[in-house]
Amino acid sequence: MRRLYSSLVDGRGFDLCLIGIPLAFLIVLSGVPLIYNVVMSFQAVDMFSLGSFIRPWVGHENYRQLIAQPEFWPIMGHTATFLVASIAGQFLLGFALALFFWMNFPGASWLRGLFLVSWVMPGLVVGAVWNWLLSGDFGVFNFVLHQLHIISDNVFWRSDPAFSLWSVIIANIWLGASFNMILLSVGLSSIPDDLYEAAELDGAGALTRFWTITLPMMRSTIGALISLGLIFTLQQFDLFAAITAGGPNNSSNVAQYWAWDLSFKQYDFAKGAAISVIMIVVVMLASVYYVRSTRHEVRG
Amino acid sequence: MTTQIEFSGVNKHYGAYHALKDINLSIGKGSFVALVGPSGCGKSTLLRSLAGLEKITGGDISIAGEVVTTLPPRKRDVAMVFQSYALYPHMTVEENLTYSLRVHGVSKGERKKAAAEVAATTGLSDLLHRYPRELSGGQRQRVAMSRAIIRNPKAFLFDEPLSNLDAALRVHMRKEIRALHDRLGATSVYVTHDQIEAMTMADHVVVLRAGIIEQQGRPLDLYDKPANKFVAGFIGSPAMNFLPATVAEGRAATIDLGKGPIRLTIPVAAPIGSSVLIGIRPEHITLTAPGEGRFDAPVAFTESTGSTTFVSTATNPELMVVETGRRMVANGDLVGLAFADTAVHVFDGATEKRL
Ligand SMILES: Nc1ncnc2c1ncn2[C@@H]1O[C@H](COP(=O)(O)OP(=O)(O)O)[C@@H](O)[C@H]1O
Ligand SMILES: [Mg+2]
Repeated sequence: MRRLYSSLVDGRGFDLCLIGIPLAFLIVLSGVPLIYNVVMSFQAVDMFSLGSFIRPWVGHENYRQLIAQPEFWPIMGHTATFLVASIAGQFLLGFALALFFWMNFPGASWLRGLFLVSWVMPGLVVGAVWNWLLSGDFGVFNFVLHQLHIISDNVFWRSDPAFSLWSVIIANIWLGASFNMILLSVGLSSIPDDLYEAAELDGAGALTRFWTITLPMMRSTIGALISLGLIFTLQQFDLFAAITAGGPNNSSNVAQYWAWDLSFKQYDFAKGAAISVIMIVVVMLASVYYVRSTRHEVRG
Repeated sequence: MTTQIEFSGVNKHYGAYHALKDINLSIGKGSFVALVGPSGCGKSTLLRSLAGLEKITGGDISIAGEVVTTLPPRKRDVAMVFQSYALYPHMTVEENLTYSLRVHGVSKGERKKAAAEVAATTGLSDLLHRYPRELSGGQRQRVAMSRAIIRNPKAFLFDEPLSNLDAALRVHMRKEIRALHDRLGATSVYVTHDQIEAMTMADHVVVLRAGIIEQQGRPLDLYDKPANKFVAGFIGSPAMNFLPATVAEGRAATIDLGKGPIRLTIPVAAPIGSSVLIGIRPEHITLTAPGEGRFDAPVAFTESTGSTTFVSTATNPELMVVETGRRMVANGDLVGLAFADTAVHVFDGATEKRL
């Protein structure tokens, strides 16, 4: 009894307690629902069997039906476009901003702080703001493009099937760029100045220094950022709900929105679960890459 | 000897702070020059100005006859060994060594050959495929040096390259750097706060204080004829003893060590009645029996390293005496202090300049 007590107060028992609490939390609130979801994707589910865990087993039938739906491949395509364009846009804009603020002009850190506001705002609010900005007839976005002579006729961003997905992508890039900027700023400032000085003395110009010192030294930051970006982007739901609701005619529908639509609008829980499982696999691959790239940190 | 590096009227301001004040310095081709001075005196600033890493705010710098004042670092063709070594952590030793060649478009085969050659002379042959984090401090130091050597630059700049090494390795690397310099026939500028490094390695020592060159010359000239009290105190270890004295007729001076006036003869003329500082190096004073030296003083304490004994006297100001071998004197013993007239340095009491 004494041994148990002292182990709990300062020993392995204490360590296990500390690990045990979050672990129990994770199992109850993440693990169980996850498994429930996976199991459900192999079962026949309807409104009446929703409450029970034991349901008829149908094997791959849900997946087969899902893939057979005509909108499956277009939606997967939109998801891929949304992922690639959002991550690339957020990363490039974030990197450009990080480099800009790295020059450390007066007020740089203050201004950089302001950029975080976009990241703090709820997705629904951001969506509402972008709804106005992107509005077809009185939107600021169209006005600016007009003045720059990039477009001659108004673009109906949210209702034109050719642009609806891009209207969400634009809003999402704006939303995520500042997070990218902050992580990249941290990465940039962790590179010691004397490396640049040594490279400069070795004859490297600014561009060469960027390619041979900055980028390789940022490898782990960039790897982590891209995997986090993948996860955050696959989670992005609010913007779709607020801007296009997946329409018109599924032209801006993506996997995460479709899953919600199937489960909670059409009450086809099994198919909704099946899409979620497909997404879980993608996110797990991204997580593995994230863990690997942060493990290989290069620090002098 | 032709001039390789020339500073003329160089000034550097950091905002309102005047870090380098009108520096004039000429460095001959093939010479090894040490910039020495206390921390914060502007040594690194001077070296970095030469490399182009700091923009000077006045004057001109030329390297090998070409004015480089406005040239960026990469056009100056000088190599620098940083105190932190500044090795590229994401590159192997070989890639570190050949970075400059790669930047200048040298082919991969040639780069490998050059790296192998330099590594053979600096003892890095077995380490070429390691990363900097897999090396010891001494090995990193060698990589930093090799990275400079491979470029065959117009000048080598060192900024306290040995200060991160342990004492034994430091002594060893001192000799190695100097030997390398001689073998390459290079021009080297070496910054250090350690006067022993400066004295043992350099042909020419420049003593800096608060952005001003206090004195420059051959190491032993600085030791024998320090231009002012600062240089006298800075060069030599332990530091020179300074005794305030008043000059009387016939080159006589009176020192007061708190135990009544002591009369001395000084080797130079000074106005009668003026106050001067008498400087005597600890190693130039010998201990005698009481009454047999210039004057007597009680011993405050002694320290011995086995080969050398350091004796401090209970006087005001306190005097330090260095004796070779072991000297058995107890605290409180009265000893006589003897020294030759030629060992005496005299500095003006007000300007602290050598008389
Ligand atoms: N970037 C800077 N901005 C302002 N002051 C500086 C800067 N770099 C150096 N200084 C000042 O210039 C003086 C000389 O610095 P430095 O050359 O580094 O001295 P050290 O002789 O120790 O190498 C110091 O007083 C230091 O505070
Ligand atoms: Mg310094």
